[in-house]
Amino acid sequence: MGKIIDLIDDKLKVFDPIYRAENGLGGQRDRYYDRTGVAKYREWRGVKDTLYDYERWLINVVSMVKMVASAPIPIMKGFWEYRWMGSYLGTFMFIDRLFEGYRDQELRVAHLQMHAIVVNLTKRIAYILSHDRRLGASMEKSSSLLPMDETLPAFFTTGFPDLVPMPLQTLPEFIICDIDQHIEPYYIDVAESFGLPADVCSRCAAETGVALDDAFPLAGKAMIATNMPCNASEATSMFQRRRIGMPDYVASMSMIHNDEDTALPFDRKIMEEVIAFVEEQYDTKWNWKAFFKAAKNFNEQNTYELEKWDYMKTGYTAEVGISETLYKLFEWQSVNGTDPYFNKVDRKVMKILRKCYEKKYEPFGGKTRHRAFLWGPSAVYYTDFPTWCQNAWGLAIVLNMDSTMGFNMISTDDKDKALDDLALLTTKACMRHMAVGGWDNINAVWEWAHNFNCDMVLMNDNIACKGMLGVHSIMEEQARDLGFHFIFIEHDLEDSRTVSRQNMRDCVNQYMSIVLGEEPLDPTIITFDDSEAF
Amino acid sequence: MNMKLVAKILGKVGLFGFLGFVGTFSLYMFNGENKLIYYVIRPLLNKHYDHQVRDKRIV
Amino acid sequence: MKDLKHLIFFENLLQDAQNELVQQAVNEGKRALGYNCYYVPEVLLNLGDCFSTRLRAPRCTSPDVATYYMTGRTCPYVRSILERAIEGGYNHLSAVFGSESCAAMERMEEQLYLLKPIKRDDFFVTIIDPPLKGDQTNLDYYKVQLKKHVLGAMERAWGMDVSDEVMRAAIEKFNKLCRVITEIGNLRKLPNPPITGYEFHVIMLVSEVCPHDLILPYLEETLEELKTRKPDPEFPFRARVVLAGSEVDDPEFTKLIEMCGAMVVADRYCFGSLPSREEIEIRDGESAFDAIARHYLHWNQCARFMDGMKIDQRHDKLAELVKEYHADGIIYENMKFCEFWSYEKVLASHIMIEENGIPCATIEKEYALGSVGQLRTRFQAFVESLEIKKINAEGGV
Repeated sequence: MGKIIDLIDDKLKVFDPIYRAENGLGGQRDRYYDRTGVAKYREWRGVKDTLYDYERWLINVVSMVKMVASAPIPIMKGFWEYRWMGSYLGTFMFIDRLFEGYRDQELRVAHLQMHAIVVNLTKRIAYILSHDRRLGASMEKSSSLLPMDETLPAFFTTGFPDLVPMPLQTLPEFIICDIDQHIEPYYIDVAESFGLPADVCSRCAAETGVALDDAFPLAGKAMIATNMPCNASEATSMFQRRRIGMPDYVASMSMIHNDEDTALPFDRKIMEEVIAFVEEQYDTKWNWKAFFKAAKNFNEQNTYELEKWDYMKTGYTAEVGISETLYKLFEWQSVNGTDPYFNKVDRKVMKILRKCYEKKYEPFGGKTRHRAFLWGPSAVYYTDFPTWCQNAWGLAIVLNMDSTMGFNMISTDDKDKALDDLALLTTKACMRHMAVGGWDNINAVWEWAHNFNCDMVLMNDNIACKGMLGVHSIMEEQARDLGFHFIFIEHDLEDSRTVSRQNMRDCVNQYMSIVLGEEPLDPTIITFDDSEAF
Repeated sequence: MNMKLVAKILGKVGLFGFLGFVGTFSLYMFNGENKLIYYVIRPLLNKHYDHQVRDKRIV
Repeated sequence: MKDLKHLIFFENLLQDAQNELVQQAVNEGKRALGYNCYYVPEVLLNLGDCFSTRLRAPRCTSPDVATYYMTGRTCPYVRSILERAIEGGYNHLSAVFGSESCAAMERMEEQLYLLKPIKRDDFFVTIIDPPLKGDQTNLDYYKVQLKKHVLGAMERAWGMDVSDEVMRAAIEKFNKLCRVITEIGNLRKLPNPPITGYEFHVIMLVSEVCPHDLILPYLEETLEELKTRKPDPEFPFRARVVLAGSEVDDPEFTKLIEMCGAMVVADRYCFGSLPSREEIEIRDGESAFDAIARHYLHWNQCARFMDGMKIDQRHDKLAELVKEYHADGIIYENMKFCEFWSYEKVLASHIMIEENGIPCATIEKEYALGSVGQLRTRFQAFVESLEIKKINAEGGV
C-alpha cells in the first residue's frame, strides 16, 4: 500500500503547490481564479494529507448539516433575515485559506482544533437563532440566553448552568469578519451614515452599525455590557443598550489592571455585582458546584496552554501560526471554559505535540527562516495572514498577543479565592491584557519574543487604535535598541477597504526583500489580487 | 443462503460507499461547493439583502 | 461694550503655559502641578504649597515630534501637549497628575515619563484609573485611586500634609474662586449679557492655568466691573448657543462662533465651567476627601461614563442648560480622533433633536484653529437655521 501511495505521490507531485514553488513551476496561486479567491481545485498535499483533509472537510460538512437539521426553520429564517448569516457560507473557503500549505502533523492539529470551533459555532448558531425573538421564538424560550458583550469572558456564566451565554457581537460582527472581509464594511457604512466619524475603531463602528441596522439576534431578558477592551468599545455600548432595549449592567472593569492591589478588589466587586444582576434578572441562583467543575476544565486548558508554550519555544511543535491563534482566541474568549469538548480536543492535541517534540518534528518541512511574535490586535479581515507569512517568506508566527490572555488558574474549592481568580481572569481578556493597562503591558512584547526565541516582531498597526498608536515610534526605537527585526503591519481591523490584504502583504514584502534581501519561498503569492474574495 | 445475502448487502453497501466517496471526493477536490456558493448562492442572497428594508435608526 | 480692564492681561497669560503668574508662584517656591482632565480633582492639586495648572499648548500648530511618537491619527490635543513638553514649555512643572481618561491621554502621560522631556530631576508623573460609572462601587474605586495616585504621590514625593484640615482649607479657597466664576458665568443668562462668550472663556481659562491665589484678585475686580458694565443697546448676536464637547482650550474658537452671530452662553466642554466651578459641599459627618470624591464623580459629565444613569444625566443636564441659559441650540464639538465624543455627539445630537426638540450642529476640529473657512460656513448656516426656526415659531414668513 505504501508503495502505491508513493507512486501516486510521485506522479501527482506536479500538482503540489509547495513542490511547484520549490522547483520554479509556480505555486499556491496557480490554482486560483483572479480576484475572487475561488480555487479551481483544492490543494493537492500528497495522498495521505489530501485524504486526511478531505475526511476533515466531510466531518465539517456533517456538522453543518447537523446544525441545519437541528433547527431548519430558524436557520433558514436567519439566512433570510440577517445579511451576516449569508457570509457564513464562506466557511469552507475560510478553512482552506487558513490551512494552505499545511502538511503532516500541523495539518492534523489544525483540523482537530478547527473542528472544535466548527462544532461549537454551529451549535451556537442553531441555538441562538432558534431562540431569537426576531425569528419567532417566545420570550419564555429566549430567556434561557444571557446576552453579553463578547469581550467579557464568559467563564462566570458557568456558575449559571441553566443559562447559555450569548456573546452578542460574535456572530454578526467578529467571527464573520474572519470569514468574509466584505461583510463589516456594510455595517460600518450604516454607522457612518448616522454621522459616526470614519476614524474610530472599525470593529466598534461595525458593532454600532449592527445595532443601528437592527441586526442583532434578540434573545434573553437582560444583558451585560462592558468597557473592555477600550474606549470605542465603551462608547458603542451606548447605542447597543438603547437599540436592544433590555435592562443592562455595565461590567466596568479597571483599565489600569496591572495595579493589582487597587484594581483587583474593584474588579472582584464588579464581578460580584454582575452575578447579583443575573440572579435578580433571571430569577436564578449562582451554583458553586457547577462553577468549580468548570474551573477544573478551565485549569486543565490553561495547564495545556502553558505546556504548549514550552514546545513552541523550541520550534519542535505542530501547533503553529493561525491554528494556534484562532483556536486560542476562540477557546479562551468565546468558549472560555463553558464547553468540555475543547478539553477533549486539547488532550488529543497534546499527545501529538508531545510526540512531535520527542521526534524533533519541524513543521512546514523545516522551511521556517524567521520566528516572529505577532503583537497588537490582528486584522480580523485577514485571519490567514500568518499562513501567508509562512508560505511566502518562511516567517513563522510563533505566538501572538491575544494568546497571552489570562492564564491564571481558578481555585476549585475556595470561594473567596475563586472570586479573586475570576476577577483577574476577566480583566486579562482579548486585546486588553496587553493593549490596555499601561506601557508595561505593551512593552512586554520584547520579553515574550525573547522567551519564545523570536528574532522578529510583527506589530499589528491598527490605524484607528488610539491606544496602540500612542506608542508607535517608541516601539520602533525599542526594536532597534534590542536588535529585533520589526515590521509594522498596517491594517484597519474590520474594514478591508482602507488597508487591503495586499497592502498588508506589502508591508512584509518590502521589509523581507529590501531590508533583508531575501527571496520568497513562493513567488506566486507575493502580489496577487484577492479583493473580491470572501 | 445467508452468506450470499450478506455478501450481496455488503457488495451494495460497498458500491454505494465507493460511489459516495467518488462523488464527495470529486466535490471536495474540484471545490464544487465553494464555486456554487460564490457564483450562485451568494449573489442571490446579496440581491435579497440589498433590497431588504431594514429598521435603521438610533432610537 | 467697553473693554474689560484686565482682558488683555488675561489674554497674555494664556499665551504661555509658564506665564507671568505661574512663574511668580514657582519663584516663590510653590510647586506647579500639571493636569489635563477633570477626573483629577483640581482642588486636591492646590493643597499646601502646590498649585494646579491645567495644561494647554497655546499656538502649537505643528506638533511634528509628537506626531512622530504618537502618529498623526491620535488626538491633536495630547500630541500638542507632548510637543510643548519636548520643546521645553513645561520645565516649571514639579509633576503631572494624569488620568486614564482615554487611551491617547494615557499614552501621552506615559511618554512624559518615558521620553523625559521635562528637564527636572524631581519631576514625576502619576496616573489615576478613573471610574466609568457613577455608582457607589465606582465611587469607592475613585477614592482608592485618588488616595494612592494623587494624595499618596504627594506624600511620597514631598511628605505633604494631606490631612482633613488641609483639605478643608483648600476647599474653602476653591469655593471662593468658584463663586466668582459662577457669578460671572451667570451673567450670560441675561437677555443682553454684559459679557461675551469669548470673554468668559478667557476668564475661565486663566482660572484654570494660573495659581488661584494670584489670579483671584483680578477675577474679583473683573466681577465688580461686570456688575456695572453697560452692554450694547441691543443684543448684538443673532442666536444663543450652548457649546458642548471635548477639549476646547482656545478662546479664538469661541470668538469664531461669535463672529458668525451666535453667542456662546454656556460652556459644557472639557476646560469649561459647566461642570468645574460648582462649589464643593461638605455634608455633615463627611470628611473633606469624601466630599471631594463625591462631588467630582457626581458633577463629571464626561462622555466616557457608560452606565445608564450617567449617560442620561449628561443629556438631561445639557437640555437643562439650554433652558437655563435661554439658548436656541447646541453646537457639539469634538476634537479630531476623539473616540468618546465621536460616538457621544451622534447619540446626543439625536436625543437633543428628536426627543428634546433642540437644534444641534456637530463639528470636528483640530487643536489649533484651522479650516476656519469651513467652520465659519457651518456656524453661519447653523445660525441661519436657528433664526428661521425662531421666525417660524413666532409665526412669521
